[in-house]
This record gives sequence, C-alpha cells and structure tokens, in this order.
Amino acid sequence: MHDRRIMIAMTIYVIVLVCVWPLARAAVEPVPKIGYALTPVLPLLYVIWVMGQKILHSDELEQRTHLIGIGVAAAAISVISIVSGFLAAANAMTLDATAAVLMWIFPLMMFVYGAARSYAARRYGGGACDEDERLPLYLRLLWAAALFALAAAYLYFHSGRGDAAETVLGMAVAIACGSAIFAVRRWRRQRPPRE
Amino acid sequence: MNNHVRQLREQRGWSQGDLAEHLDVSRQTVNAIETSKYDPSLPLAFRIAKLFRQPIESIFVPGKD
Repeated sequence: MHDRRIMIAMTIYVIVLVCVWPLARAAVEPVPKIGYALTPVLPLLYVIWVMGQKILHSDELEQRTHLIGIGVAAAAISVISIVSGFLAAANAMTLDATAAVLMWIFPLMMFVYGAARSYAARRYGGGACDEDERLPLYLRLLWAAALFALAAAYLYFHSGRGDAAETVLGMAVAIACGSAIFAVRRWRRQRPPRE
Repeated sequence: MNNHVRQLREQRGWSQGDLAEHLDVSRQTVNAIETSKYDPSLPLAFRIAKLFRQPIESIFVPGKD
C-alpha cells in the first residue's frame, strides 16, 4: 500500500517537474513564479509523510534496515551537498549547475536509501524486499523507466529541450537496465533447482 | 545467539509466514531470527516464548563469543 502511494506520488512529481516547473522560469509575476517553482515540493512532502508511516508500521528488523538505509543516504547526500557547496562557493560551478544538483538531491537520496536498505535486508537474509511484495522491484523499476522515457519524449518533442531530454532518456535506460537485472535475478531464484 | 525457533515452529507445522502472523512481524524477520542473523529485541523474545509456552532461556541459547 505504502509503495503504491510512493510510486503514484513520484509519478506526479516527475510530471510536475517536467510540465509545471518550467513555467516558473517564464512567469513574470512573483506569486505565480513562486507557485510554479514550489509545486514539485508538494508530492515530495507527501512521499516523506508516507515513508514515515511505512517505517512507523514496520517491525523491529525492518526499522533497523530503514535506519541503515536512511543513514547511508544521509551520508551520501551530505558528501554530495558539501562538495557542490564548495565548488559553487569557489565559482567552479555555475548557479544553474548548483540548482540542478540541489533538485536531484531528493531523488538521489531515495535511490541511495533504497539500495542501502536492500543491501541491509539481504545481509539479514531478506530477499531484497521483492519476494513478498505484490509488485516486484523489477516491475516498479520498469514503471519508473517508462515514466522517465515519457518525460524525455515530452521534453524533446514539446519543450524542444534536447539536452535535458538526453539526460532524462539516459536515466530511463539506466533504470530499465536495473529492472532487467532484477528481473533476471528473480527468474533465477524462482527457477526450480536442477536434479 | 542461537535459538530453537525453527524446531518449535516446525513442531507445530507452521510456515514462517504463519509464525510471522502470530508474532505480528514480517516473514523476513522470522527467517532472520531462525537463521541467527538477527537477535530479536527483549519484547519480541518474550512474545516468542509466550507463543511457544516455554521460558526464554530454553529457546534462546548464548552462542560462542
């Protein structure tokens, strides 16, 4: 239930980021400009709330793996933030690049958190959290890849932002590759043992 | 720490999922306890002992340090 809510919210986030947020740059009046700019924050706040609920309703081992995941993600994001901060302060990064890094902080944090939690769960003998889920991890990744591909298509054909489309398409391909890896791993696990 | 949770569960003919449901934890947690990859908290250990109607010290045995 929680995972489905998170997926829906992240879908809305990507749609808003691609379709609504670019309007902020074109807006002249301060109120709509701030409104457009901050719209992507709403689905993210919802995701944080759902994740809090998910952790709250977890058992003690799951809470431990959540803690490990959040700890690793916080460490990784802290390092990326401070590196970006130093580079921006030394004028080695443009303001646009700094803003881009800041915008990707949350998705990156979610990714690192998910990977670290999956690793921790496996150390405790868990099945990478996908065997008992109604929607397997590879299907969730496939969904995310499709979403990113759609966003890339929108950016390329509608907005005419070829460079951004290439970046988003690259991410879609990377996620699709991850999905394929998890699908193969799942297939190998479910395959009956040889006689 | 070692434990006899798997034997006790199998004596009752329960699956890991059945035991997880009785203890209100996930199946992964039951699996981690049975394989001694995770030592349960004291409240959960008491719940396990109460469910199997045995003292904690007969279920959980200290391992080699």
